[in-house]
Amino acid sequence: MNSSQSSASTSSVLSIDPRAASIREERLLLLLSIFVGIISGLLVVSFRMAIDWLTVLLQGSSPAPHQLRLLEVPTIAGLIIALLVRFVFPAARGSGVNQTKAALYISNGYISTRTVLGKFLLSALAIGSGHSLGPEDPSLQIGAGVASLISRRFGLSRARLRLFAPIGAAAGLAAAFNAPISAILFVIEEVIGNWSAAVLGSVVLSAISAVVVARWFWGAEPMFRIPVVNLVDPRELMAYAVLGVIGGVASLGFTKALGWLRPMLRRQPANWQLIHPPAAGFLVGCIGYFGLPQIMGAGYETIDQAMHGQFALKLLLLLALFKIIATTLSFSSGTPGGMFAPTLFIGAMLGGAVGAFEHNLLPHLTGSIASYALVGMGVLFAAFLRAPLTSVFMVLEVSGNYSIILPVILSNTIAYLLSRALQPVPIFEIFTHQDGLYLPSMEEQREESNLHLEDALHGVTAPVLQGSESLASSASAYAQYAGSPDSTAILVQCSDGLWYAATRAEVESILIGSAPDPAAPAAASQPGEDIKAMAGDSAASPESDANTKLEQRLGSERTPVLFPDLPLASALPHFRRWPLLPVTNRAVRGALEGTISLEDVLKRYQQR
Amino acid sequence: MALKISDSAIDRRSLVIRDTISLLAILLITSVLFVCTLFLFHSFSTHRAELAERWSDRGRRALAANKPQEAISDLRTALSYAPGTRSYELLLAQALGHAGRQDESYNYFLGLHETAPGDGDINLALARLAAQKGNRDEAVQDYRAAIYGTWGRGNGVERRAAVRTELARYLIEQQDFQNARMELLIAGGNGSDSYDRDMKFGHLFEAAKDPKNAAIYYQKAIASRPGDASALEAAGRVAYSLAEYVTAHRLLDRAADIRGQHHSTEAATDADLAHNAARLVELNPAPSLPPRQRIARIIAIRSIAKKRLDACERNGGAQSSSPKLQSLNARWAGPEATSNSTTLLRDPARQDEALQLAFDTERMMQSNCGAATGDDALLLRLAEPPKETRSTNE
Repeated sequence: MNSSQSSASTSSVLSIDPRAASIREERLLLLLSIFVGIISGLLVVSFRMAIDWLTVLLQGSSPAPHQLRLLEVPTIAGLIIALLVRFVFPAARGSGVNQTKAALYISNGYISTRTVLGKFLLSALAIGSGHSLGPEDPSLQIGAGVASLISRRFGLSRARLRLFAPIGAAAGLAAAFNAPISAILFVIEEVIGNWSAAVLGSVVLSAISAVVVARWFWGAEPMFRIPVVNLVDPRELMAYAVLGVIGGVASLGFTKALGWLRPMLRRQPANWQLIHPPAAGFLVGCIGYFGLPQIMGAGYETIDQAMHGQFALKLLLLLALFKIIATTLSFSSGTPGGMFAPTLFIGAMLGGAVGAFEHNLLPHLTGSIASYALVGMGVLFAAFLRAPLTSVFMVLEVSGNYSIILPVILSNTIAYLLSRALQPVPIFEIFTHQDGLYLPSMEEQREESNLHLEDALHGVTAPVLQGSESLASSASAYAQYAGSPDSTAILVQCSDGLWYAATRAEVESILIGSAPDPAAPAAASQPGEDIKAMAGDSAASPESDANTKLEQRLGSERTPVLFPDLPLASALPHFRRWPLLPVTNRAVRGALEGTISLEDVLKRYQQR
Repeated sequence: MALKISDSAIDRRSLVIRDTISLLAILLITSVLFVCTLFLFHSFSTHRAELAERWSDRGRRALAANKPQEAISDLRTALSYAPGTRSYELLLAQALGHAGRQDESYNYFLGLHETAPGDGDINLALARLAAQKGNRDEAVQDYRAAIYGTWGRGNGVERRAAVRTELARYLIEQQDFQNARMELLIAGGNGSDSYDRDMKFGHLFEAAKDPKNAAIYYQKAIASRPGDASALEAAGRVAYSLAEYVTAHRLLDRAADIRGQHHSTEAATDADLAHNAARLVELNPAPSLPPRQRIARIIAIRSIAKKRLDACERNGGAQSSSPKLQSLNARWAGPEATSNSTTLLRDPARQDEALQLAFDTERMMQSNCGAATGDDALLLRLAEPPKETRSTNE
């Protein structure tokens, strides 16, 4: 089933009423989210097992420098991966995050089964053979693919189908990290881009289901354990601030390296691209062979060792540097795999290095190297992947330690702001541009300043009548506005505090006592001329008609209540009915802040 | 119209049936996938556990063979297959310590301590590392945490006593004798007597400047093995330091008899000590002696002290211009120096004055004319009050 086919919903084929179809889809969305979570969780567990098994099988149970297989295995695996990517699984290369976004924004939530299978097999082979890549990004795409596959079987509407990819992505990421909140936030921050109650419920359900499954197998222990962080001396935050700066600069280097090498390799002829993965594997193998096997694979054991202070300062810096090189090589070569684990690795090494340096320089300060390594992970996550909120929660969830919150927030914020200043385009956006796609930038969306009604607001110049007054009094009051250029619309304040924005013709027809004539406004040479006449004749009219209140003649309908802080776009639908919209104060019911016309709104948009 | 409603109901029913079947199919697929994953995971876990066991055994062997670097590598591998296994983590932390990587080891133990703050083994390891780093307060605190901690393996009572003994040793090294004695008293009281244990506590009390309690443990050791020369020697030595010269002489003599013709340095030292003890017994003017015998000893002591003074003056060591020496010389011209045995017999106060004169002379000559030897040294020993448990932080 392709995307166009999938868009034809069953409910429309079978003639049931739209409301029932919508209820059915809403219920299915929630129910299927649980299934998506469970199946994604099971697949991610299998994926992690496959990686671990392949690692032992290919690299041996204890890889160490000067083992020849460190050179051979990633090279040969790279060649196999290159052939499979070229001829069997062409969509398996690239970032899973961007492919999920593409599914959401371009292909109506469609991710092919072949892509999922390719991502599973090739990523496991790549990481297991020692390519410097992580399992989280493929896990995210496996989850998205599962969701896409399941949702297609139910013939849901196109809008629902689109939502399933991010729902599955959250499940895959949650299972991979054993961290539901981070996964939910990441999908909201990076894939969907906004908070919507309908999606949020499904994302939460799928992420939790996936984590429950993952914990069933792996246990509920946090990924990393560090001692409680007691900030005895607030000056220690300075060291964390320095870590934020270092993380921001390191992420710039990492981004630049990827931004330079990846397009360069992609520009080469297709046949030449076949040698990229084996060449990258060989170079990564060389780094491992000549002394740093820790940089091969995802590297979580090495992160744990760094947290336990098992590496000296120099080695920590070397590991960070060579991990950047190895990951740039592996990822740019088109080998399937993710960037999350390498990012955490580099951050942990840099954090550990700052911690070790601080301990040497200021041994009286309390922070353990583990806490610096952990904060470092969050720092690079915030700066490189540009997901500041996710980075904070990710650190809390993978360590299960809330005491680290202050340093994490400080460092991540500094790193994020620095990274934004130095490299305005986020890494995922760079990748999408390199791939020839133009997906929405979630960071830009977050930063976008939406216009509000207050931006187009004008002072009240239209005539204002009191709805509680009689027609005769209203006619007299209206007559005062004769000749006013702003009297094409008249505001009537009703006794319930609400407003009624009437056209001149509407008011005049009421005040004259006849039905509105569409030609009347055009025919009248001067506003109020008829009313003047009516005011003069009012004594001759029957008394009951003269005592009728204006608002009674206006009926029960009122203009919508609008406030200055509402989005400017929210006013647009109302201009079909109303010539002018009164904008009122939130605190005082009915108190006018100003008015807004269609012309005002359009003018304001044109000024952007 | 009725036909239309009927069609819609049929469509709706067929949709419900279709959804139900699809959901059941997903449920079935999920169940099958779960069972398959469970089976694979079981196999995977078993394989990893085997690998972890294999590498930890290698690490253990390397550690036992004093190859800490190798052990570190092996244990790290073991932990990568069985993360969080406490026994491996403890071994790794120990290996790091043995490899001289104290900081890494300490950090590792700190991490472990965070997860199990009451673990005796971890606290003990932290105490040892803190002691090596010279953090006395931290070391003592960790030792105490270890004593009151939980001990999963072996006999908790014995392990606690062993840690307490280790703490006492550390405190002795730190010259904190009073606290060391307290720990030793508690540790000594928690356990059944045996020769080795009594000897160990005897030595420790002796090192903690508590010869009285040392003597008690040595006596217990002698009671366990009456013919043991080491116990007799140790007990004799302590008795000598407590000025129990008769006991010292008896014990040291017995030890010498048992050792027989063995000519070791220890034997020679013990023989000297035994000889000194015997001579001290001969010289000691104990108040319990018969008066005539005591006076004879006082006169002999006075005579030894006078000879020491004269010899010192001849060698120019005692400057007559010194007011203290002038005062001493004046006392030697006084009645306490010249009284004969009859006079001394009649005046018990004079006996003490004569004895005091002799002791004061020996003390002054010790500072003016160099270290005393022979009987002069023994007189100085008699001049000192018998050793009790010394004051804090001697």
